[in-house]
Formats: sequence, structure tokens, C-alpha cells
Amino acid sequence: MNKILSKFGPFLGLLLVIALFSIPGEVREYFLSVSNFKIILTQTVIVALAALGMTMIIVSGGIDLSAGSVIAFTSVIGALGLKHGWSAWAVVPTVVASGAFLGLLNGSAIAGLRMTPFIITLGMMGIARGAGKWMASNETVNYTNPAINGWMTTADPYDLSMPPGAWVAVALAIATAIFMRRTVFGRQIFAIGSNEATARLCGVNTVVTKALIYTIAGGFFGLAGLMQLARLRQGDPTVAIGVELDIIAAVIIGGASLSGGAGSILGTMIGALIMSVLRNGSQQMGWPTYFQEIMIGVVIIVAVFLDRLRAHKSA
Amino acid sequence: MKKLPLAAATLLALCAMLPITTQAAPERYRIAGVPKGTTDEYWKSANAGMVKAQREFAEQGVTVDIMWKGPIREDDREQQIQVMENFVARRVSAIVLAPLDGTALVPSVELATRAKIPVVLIDSTLDKDVYVSEASTDNYQGGVIAARRLAELLDGKGKVIVVRVVPGSTSVEGRVNGFLDTIKEFPEIEVISSDQYAGPSRDTAYRTAQNLINRYGHQIDGIFTPNNSSTSGTLLALADVGRGGGKVKHVGFDTDKQSVAALRAGDLQGLIVQDPLNMGYVAVKTAIAKLRGEEIPKLIDTGCTLITAENMDDPEINDLLHPPLDKYL
Repeated sequence: MNKILSKFGPFLGLLLVIALFSIPGEVREYFLSVSNFKIILTQTVIVALAALGMTMIIVSGGIDLSAGSVIAFTSVIGALGLKHGWSAWAVVPTVVASGAFLGLLNGSAIAGLRMTPFIITLGMMGIARGAGKWMASNETVNYTNPAINGWMTTADPYDLSMPPGAWVAVALAIATAIFMRRTVFGRQIFAIGSNEATARLCGVNTVVTKALIYTIAGGFFGLAGLMQLARLRQGDPTVAIGVELDIIAAVIIGGASLSGGAGSILGTMIGALIMSVLRNGSQQMGWPTYFQEIMIGVVIIVAVFLDRLRAHKSA
Repeated sequence: MKKLPLAAATLLALCAMLPITTQAAPERYRIAGVPKGTTDEYWKSANAGMVKAQREFAEQGVTVDIMWKGPIREDDREQQIQVMENFVARRVSAIVLAPLDGTALVPSVELATRAKIPVVLIDSTLDKDVYVSEASTDNYQGGVIAARRLAELLDGKGKVIVVRVVPGSTSVEGRVNGFLDTIKEFPEIEVISSDQYAGPSRDTAYRTAQNLINRYGHQIDGIFTPNNSSTSGTLLALADVGRGGGKVKHVGFDTDKQSVAALRAGDLQGLIVQDPLNMGYVAVKTAIAKLRGEEIPKLIDTGCTLITAENMDDPEINDLLHPPLDKYL
């Protein structure tokens, strides 16, 4: 029973939230529609992509507070590229690489200088945000190049098609889940998070592994920045303020432990969806914004509390 | 994530079994209002205007539901886009939008248009013509009124300065252009500075005004400040050097508590105010006219008014300075 609960806990949470908004008849026909779930999925893409990287970091026992700033920085880089007439083929690798570069800086400092991830990424949060504003000359970067305009939208809002960005997120989620479960590197992430000293004694090169984790995660943040750019069609260095907390919340609601060693991609994706469904549903219900902020706060605490309860029982 | 469609389908099937009552309602519209922010009184006034229109329609037996939702921060473009998308999914009849950004909001207005939901803009415009109508202040005309007032105060002669706000703000540039074009009609008035930017906040405006007053000192006879923050920053700077109280004639734009107090105290000789309540009201009327298939104008001027210490206690002027929010919200 416990095993089933721990596996499907977040999933039940998602169903519960969906059920909550499906009760009032007046809202149900709009809330439970294909077009609405299409919009919910599209709105989840940015947090979901970044949360893939964040799951790896949190499972390894770390944290990254710079995710939101990196999203803003990379979206500015992408906008500058598009402004100079680059094609999507040039913009995508550049943007992902610039995110990965900032991740590499984070990872090297954390692993190489043995500093706390919280401090390093708190610093990077300011550095990346400031660098983004600098690159953008402290204003929004506007361009007319339509190379990536269609990535986060579909021609008909009510049909069954999904925007390409959502497919990218689904494909990468599956790939990352397999990567974390089935590869040596993936298992090493869990090993470091469970007990770094033991992992090192067992022959894991913790310095290189940690640096790589933050680098890969940075690449995911860069991809999230690209999707943000496709949505705004403008490079905005002030975008995604506080989004790192949404990303961390998604990972935590999904059952990961902040002390490392536990977490799953499926859980994280459901965690991200729970928050999007809450936002969307409370708007459909006509609830004020402050109410949905309170709701999401409560959900985070309840999710972690239930997780603790489960862990105690099985121990 | 893969399991989601299945779960949704299951729930859908469950819900389909429940009876859904549909009644043949006569005429009913659901209008969504999406402001730039929710805490500012300016946006609450727009909301009040929408409710005013709702009540008028109710008297004619037409049911209008107003839904009101905006981002918390006035620079959170992503949040405003999400609000727009969620209203499209809610299949509202029409959306009244005050776009935070002329570019970033274009895709979500296009989305609404593809979903056959007409979008009426208030307050600000978009870079691309994807909306059905716009109800906003004729900013150029606001600048014209300000220039006439300042010329009247100066008896048609003297040296004036105009402060700009930030590069690229089309609404404020419109006011400055209206002012500069009109002040030319008075040959004895000389504009000695019109190229300085006051920046986005009261603090930056304060510094800019200090620098300008430092440089031009006692030459200055009149000042036009084209928005809220530049007006209050300039008031502070003039008071610092003892040039307040009407020694330098000062005409400002937009209201807040400080500028209203300055008007009463005689530190400010004129204030041009917009009418956000009227914007919300006109936008709902326009949206419903569009839904009924009537011809609607592309641009509607919601008017701006000169307020002075003499007329500020008139009832209708008082309504502009202190919108009757309690009556509607």
C-alpha cells in the first residue's frame, strides 16, 4: 500500500486538484475541455523544462536559485541572435550553450571550491539577471525575425494539436527519466545525493559529476529561456523573476527530498502540472490572484508533509 | 504526463453522466477585463467603469458577467499572457485588455482572435493591428491642453522646460509632442529644454529636475511634466529651491494623492487627468456592440480634463480625482 502511495502520491494530488475544479457545473465545461488542457500544458512547458534540470540538482543534494535569472539571460541572448537575423538552427544551440555555460560556472564553483550551492547560485541569480539587463541595454530586445514564433502556440486554440514546445518538453522528460534511472551517470547523481562521502569512496568522481549536473541543468534552463522567448516574442531581462521558486516547488511537490537522494522526473512533471492546474482553475473559478498564491503555498506544505508521513511509516 | 489524457478522459466521462442544465438565456455576455496590475487605483477605476456598463445593460435586460483578473506586477508580461490564455480557454465573449507591452501581448491577442473572441484595448495600444478597437486617452490632445494652460498662466511670454520620461513610451511622447506643437503658437514663449528624461520613478525624476533647475535656475518661468512620477519628482525639486508655490508655473499629468494635495496648496497650477473609469465603461459598450455585429470605431478617445485649484471641487471633477469606486466595486 505504501509503495503504491509513494509512487502515485503526486498523481493522486493532480487528480484531486482536477476534480476540485470539475465540481462546479458552470466552470466544468470550460475547465475540462481539450483546449483548456492544451493551454495548461503550454503554460507548464517553461517550468517543466527547467524542472528537469532542477530535479537532477536536487536529487544530487544541491539547489539552484539562479534558474529564473538564467531563463531571462538566455532569452535575451536568443533575442539578440534573432535580431541579427540568425536562423532557429543557430539560435537554439547558442541559447542552450549559454545556459549550460552559466551552469558550468555554478557547478565548478560548487564542486571545485567546495562552496554551498545555496550561496553560489544566490550569487549567480544576481549575476545572470544583471548580465541579462546589460546585454539588453536595460530594455526589452525586440526583433521581427519570426524563426521561433510558432513554438509555443497553435493555429487553432480549440483543436487537438499541441504546440512544438510541449512535445519537446514531453520528449525530454521521457529521455531524462530514462537517463536518470538507466545510466551509470544517472545512478551516480542519486549516489551523491544519498551520501557524497560514500559515493566518493565507491569511486565516483564527485567533482566532475557535480560540475556536469549543474552544466546539464543550465542547458535545460537555457531551453526554458528559449520557450519563454517564443512566448513573449521579445527578449525581456526582467522576465521569470521568482520562477526558480516555482521550479523548486514542482520538484518538491513531485516527491523529491531537499536533502538529496530521492526524486523522480515523473513526479516533478506532475508537480509542475499541479501548480499550472491550480493557477488555471482558480482563474476559471474567478478567484482572486492572492487566493491562488495561498492555495499553492498550502499545496507545497501539504505535499511535503504527506511525503514525510510516508517516509516515517516505511522506515 | 503520459497518463494525463487518460485521466482527463475518465473525468470527462464521469462528468458527462451528471446532468448539465442549459437554459435558453435571452442575451448574455461574459466579458473579461485584464488590467496591467490590480492594486493601483487607476485599474480599479477601469474595473468600476466595466461594472457601470454592466448595470446599464442589466436595466435593459441584458446580462453581462464581468470577470476581472490581472498580473500582480505591472511588468510581468508572462503572467498577463497566461491570464489572457486562461480567459480564451474559459471561452469568454470578449476581452478588455490593457496591454503591458506593445509587442509581448500580440500573440495572446492573436490567439483570442483565432478563437473568435474580440479584444478591445484600453489605456495602451499594440504594435500590431490585431484588436477590434481601442479606448484610450488622446495623449496628443492632453499635451495641447497643457500647453494652452501654461501659456495662459504665463500671459503668453516666458521660458519653459519640458521633461520627458523614458525613451520609447508612446503615450508620454504623444503628450510632449502635443505640448511642443501647441506652445509654438505663442511666439514669446521659448522652450529652453525639452530633451531631458526623468526616468521611471519619482526618485529619478527628482534628480533630473534638480539638475535642470540647477542649470537653468531663475530663467525658468514654467514647467510641463507629462506623467505622474515626473510631476511629483519635479514638485519636490522646486520646493527644495524655494521656487514652489507658483513662482514657477507647473502643469502636470495624471493624479495621485501628492499631486492633488499640491494642486490644493498652490504648488501645481494645472493637472491633466485621464478617465480610466470611462475607458472601462466604453470598452464594455464597444465589445458588446461588436458582438451584436454593429459597426464600431477603431479608436475611441475617452477624454482628458484640465484640473485646477478653482475647479477641483466641482462634483464631476471631483469624480475624476476620486473615482466613485465604492459605488461600483
